[in-house]
Amino acid sequence: MHPQDHFVAERRGAWQELDTLLSSARSLHELAPRSISRVGALYRSVCADLMRARSAGYEPELLAHLDGLAARAHNQLYGARPLKLTGFTQFLTREFPRTLRAHGRFFALGSALFLIPMLLAIAATLYDPALAQLVLPRGMLEAAADSYAEGLAGRESGVDASMAGFYVRNNVGIAFRCFATGIFFGLGSVFFLIYNGVVIGTVMGWVIAQGHGENILTFVCGHAPFELTAICIAGGAGLQMGYALVRTDGRTRLGSLRAAAPAVGIIVGGAAVMLIIAAAIEGFWSPSGAPPPIKWVTAAALSLLVAAYLALAGRRSTP
Amino acid sequence: MARATGSDRAGSLSRRVGARAEPRERLDTIARVDSPEQVRFEYRVAGPARRGVAYLIDTLIKAGVVLLLTALVVIGGVELETFAGWTAGLYALVIFALEWGYYVLFETLMGGRSPGKRAMHLRVVKEGGYPINFVDSLLRNLLRAADFLPSLYAFGVLVMGLDSRFRRLGDLVAGTMVVVEERSHVSAPVQLRPPASAEELAAMPGAALLRSSEREALDLFVRRLERLSPARADELAELILPGFLDRLPADAARRPARSLALLYLRATERRGASS
Repeated sequence: MHPQDHFVAERRGAWQELDTLLSSARSLHELAPRSISRVGALYRSVCADLMRARSAGYEPELLAHLDGLAARAHNQLYGARPLKLTGFTQFLTREFPRTLRAHGRFFALGSALFLIPMLLAIAATLYDPALAQLVLPRGMLEAAADSYAEGLAGRESGVDASMAGFYVRNNVGIAFRCFATGIFFGLGSVFFLIYNGVVIGTVMGWVIAQGHGENILTFVCGHAPFELTAICIAGGAGLQMGYALVRTDGRTRLGSLRAAAPAVGIIVGGAAVMLIIAAAIEGFWSPSGAPPPIKWVTAAALSLLVAAYLALAGRRSTP
Repeated sequence: MARATGSDRAGSLSRRVGARAEPRERLDTIARVDSPEQVRFEYRVAGPARRGVAYLIDTLIKAGVVLLLTALVVIGGVELETFAGWTAGLYALVIFALEWGYYVLFETLMGGRSPGKRAMHLRVVKEGGYPINFVDSLLRNLLRAADFLPSLYAFGVLVMGLDSRFRRLGDLVAGTMVVVEERSHVSAPVQLRPPASAEELAAMPGAALLRSSEREALDLFVRRLERLSPARADELAELILPGFLDRLPADAARRPARSLALLYLRATERRGASS
């Protein structure tokens, strides 16, 4: 008998056992304790088989099979941390606000790049509404003004469906795009932050100038604390990513990017959670018929909440 | 071909020292990973075509969910004119969740596989072969917005083409790669038809030594013989025959395919007897 066939005949049982164990559960911690330790033992034996097969120069197909098997077992055994709810609360109450504060200068820069153009655009459009047409076509501006022409409280349905859906998608998209395009050495984030600041500011200014200021501000105030803050945070994370590509501190660019990635991931993860909250408010609360004063009070409370959360959460070093 | 991480460098050192060192790594879509057991795995890295199909499947699934929701809304008797308020909010949230959360949800919960990737036997892993976590998945999927630019993942595909592991921007940032995970079967021993006779084998040189790369090439060739017509098999065999002539009997050129198969059998048999 060929030594390889002998080897296969002798070891095949173990390989099949490992294969069945690995296929029987999505992740290892779902298996019985006995089976888990069995997987560990089988994995080590397959590693030995793989090395033996390699050094004896057995057939490539056998090597590929053992390789795949060992790789799957390795994937399951190492770093298989099950997803837990406590990890998520830990992330929200401590990790995210702490990491954000540790890299606060990017958040500050992102906020400046977004909010200053926005405020300038509002001021400029209020000063001279004709300026708005430099930024957006008149038809679009009028459509925006029309959609806020009626008060929300008087209507059964609030702004119409396509608009609500459009806003959620668009605004969440803005935040994530501000982040993602930071990969182009930060330039994409800079562009999208300024661009969206100007566009949002222009629309706001125009609608206010048309005399619907109360309507638009009442609509926007509920989700704005979460949404605008999340855009600033996400844009800041994009800038941080771009900065890592420019200032490498002696690493390769890829290495520098990789070193910044964990913090960037945490920050943008927190921004994503804030955007989910913003989307829920924007989908259900903002278009609702609740009286404006209640919406204003809620908005003030939410703003304070967001500010306090970002500034204070997770300050103590031990939970 | 792999980036020189610390473990790669250690690997290349041991390769240089090792007696059976191969001259250089093969040019292939393979990523090598060293485990704590000092075993090196080889992952087959997935290319743009395969990942494109997986993307298409995922997109169809997402479109299906939106269609289903629309159907429910219509069947539920909501008139399209009054389609607003709660329904609109729900609709917007579903689309938002699908657009940005679909991949993150499935990759985090299903061990790096979205339904489309699962169908195509793909899996997202960290570069060390470890499973990805939530933040890895979030990073690589949010970066889709950059990979997508200017349209239809043009930039992402371009970056993939420049990278030896077919990583798009999202993979580069998150430190992940997409690998093909196919369960292979252990192949049966090589059978020659008609079986090699004792004389035929005896005509081969006593110590038919083959380098491992040569043996691998012959192995792949011999296993294909059944599916090739004899004429085509000889045609292919003639292409590589010159490299083996010094180890073949003088009349080998008359039946190139058969001669190579016999050489392979003889060589593996000799190796078997000596080990």
